Amino acid sequence: MLKATTKLFASAAVALALGTVSAAADIKVGVLVPDSGPAGLFGPSTRNSATLAAEQINAGGGINGEAIELVFADVGVPPAEAAQAALRLWKGEGAQAFVGMHDSAVREALIGRFNGQVPYVYTPVYEGNSCAPGLYVTGETPSQQLAPVIPYLAENEGASKWYLIGHDYNWPRDTNALAKNYIADAGGEVVGEEYVPFTVSEFDSSLQRIKESGADAILITLVGGGSVGFNVSFAGFGLEEQALRLGTLIEENTLAGIGAENADRLFSSSGYFASIASDAAVSFAADYTAAFGADAPALNGLGQSAYEGLMLLAALANKAGSLDVAAMDAAAEGTTWSTPRGENTLTGRHMAQTIYLADGSGGTFDIVASFDKVASSEACAD
Amino acid sequence: MSSVLVLNLAWQISTLALVALGLAIVFGKLQIMNMAHGEFVMIGAYAPVITSSLGLPAWLQVPVCLLTVALVAFVLERTIIRHLYGRMFDSLLATWGIAILLREAVELIFGRGYQSVTPPISGTISVLGADYPAYRIAVILGILAGFVALFWWNSRSKVATRIKAMVGNPDLAEAVGINTARLSAGAFIFGCCTAGLAGLILAPTIRIEPMMGLDYLIRSFFALVVGGLGTLEGLGIGAGIIAGTQSVLGAVANQTYGYLAVLTLSILFLWLKPDGIRSSSR
Repeated sequence: MLKATTKLFASAAVALALGTVSAAADIKVGVLVPDSGPAGLFGPSTRNSATLAAEQINAGGGINGEAIELVFADVGVPPAEAAQAALRLWKGEGAQAFVGMHDSAVREALIGRFNGQVPYVYTPVYEGNSCAPGLYVTGETPSQQLAPVIPYLAENEGASKWYLIGHDYNWPRDTNALAKNYIADAGGEVVGEEYVPFTVSEFDSSLQRIKESGADAILITLVGGGSVGFNVSFAGFGLEEQALRLGTLIEENTLAGIGAENADRLFSSSGYFASIASDAAVSFAADYTAAFGADAPALNGLGQSAYEGLMLLAALANKAGSLDVAAMDAAAEGTTWSTPRGENTLTGRHMAQTIYLADGSGGTFDIVASFDKVASSEACAD
Repeated sequence: MSSVLVLNLAWQISTLALVALGLAIVFGKLQIMNMAHGEFVMIGAYAPVITSSLGLPAWLQVPVCLLTVALVAFVLERTIIRHLYGRMFDSLLATWGIAILLREAVELIFGRGYQSVTPPISGTISVLGADYPAYRIAVILGILAGFVALFWWNSRSKVATRIKAMVGNPDLAEAVGINTARLSAGAFIFGCCTAGLAGLILAPTIRIEPMMGLDYLIRSFFALVVGGLGTLEGLGIGAGIIAGTQSVLGAVANQTYGYLAVLTLSILFLWLKPDGIRSSSR
């Protein structure tokens, strides 16, 4: 109860701080976060990261000399409702740009609604190949997460027989389609591929197939609770001695649910971990703790992506000299800026960035390798 | 290979029977369509989280689990449930609301994030020529022993008959000397406690978060629909068919077909044999 009260005061303090900024603010930026729905777990860390980004942008002179103010909307709802919520920020509150951390269905609805009239930065990990005027992407795509990592694991961990398991929708299928090429290029083979419905929470039969396949590496594209359930059972059957695991959406919350004793040789590939040891990342994490307290929702790649999105928006708008979509589209290619993730470049409207490979053994992510300036092969042609 | 399939079947069937037991009592005997059943499983699964956050020793998990669940069930029974005995549809709406309330309450206390629980027995042991998690073997044997004891008690005790009298005609039951308030509260709390215990036992093998209860509610309903209400045999048959179908089809085909078959079976039973295979009302 004491904790809850402290949190309440902490968020009230942040709201007050924001309020004082807003008095002088000229540019409103709509931030679309999942407060509800399946991704609701990431709502608080996303809001906090966005708030921190706005403070730092304003401290550095704002966008083209004008301070920014964030206006939030919940997009953890069906796409049509999310588009309505964004429309209210845009037409109702006068938001001049958007940063969104939400699923792909909502993104497609927003692209239709914005119709290239307002800049829109999409920030989470996603399947790639989304292109539209005014749309810029900071999230990692499958090629970025896998192209450097699969050869690394082949060389350093001896991963050669891969079993691919994911939930049954487009992100896992797109990821695995690419993964097969990288596995073949690294001299490995795919010994099994399986997609499970979201409603399944028992993985016994999948684990049995994995055991019989003789796989020595598992690529996991299960999301959220499914990933937790799978990994807990995987370790329960003692399979971590047979095979390493690589996940492309296993972040700090998922790892906490899997538990320290179930995470041996569980690797995760991402553009961000709370444990990155670079100066920029360490000072970002310190700022986060200073602003939101030690009990604040843990930093993770999805929540932190909202920070990246706002920083991209600021860098691009400053380079273009305005928030006009045509000017920003013209200036987009080759924009460079640096963030806690590292040195970033906008290529094909997607963010070329440092990719980190972390080992979750023992329940915390240990960065074992980093790959600089990894560009996406699922970026846009122009 | 096949020995693992047999062990998986035993695990799936025994855990589903344990999870569904509480629902069978509350729904089958008291005619309360308990949509909050899964939330009691969830609260039970949080018991180790409670003990570890309070720094209590691990052996207190069972008493903490039973006390927490019993307290929540008691308060709900006295304030809401007792007005709804025999009113199945009203109880469905009311308990759905309770389910949301319980999820939000747990989220408020522990947050939305995932929790993890260490199993008391780790590692695998060799059974029937297959390496199988030792904890699961212990749980299967424990549940089997528990059901044997329950069956033995149930065949001797008059409690089930008294509950039937109470639900069928509360006034007459009072008149013949049955303390209906105590009996109904006792049965409801007992049912909820078995759900909580199921959650505690499953905790080291599953994901733990405030929304987890829904999975268990749905599968329990399917088991009761197929097996029929009111008897322990029905519960066992229902759990066997539902968990067996999912396991076997999941192993020989894939999980999608397994789930599809479970849904199809449930619909067919609701349509053609709404009382299930075994039912006390026949």
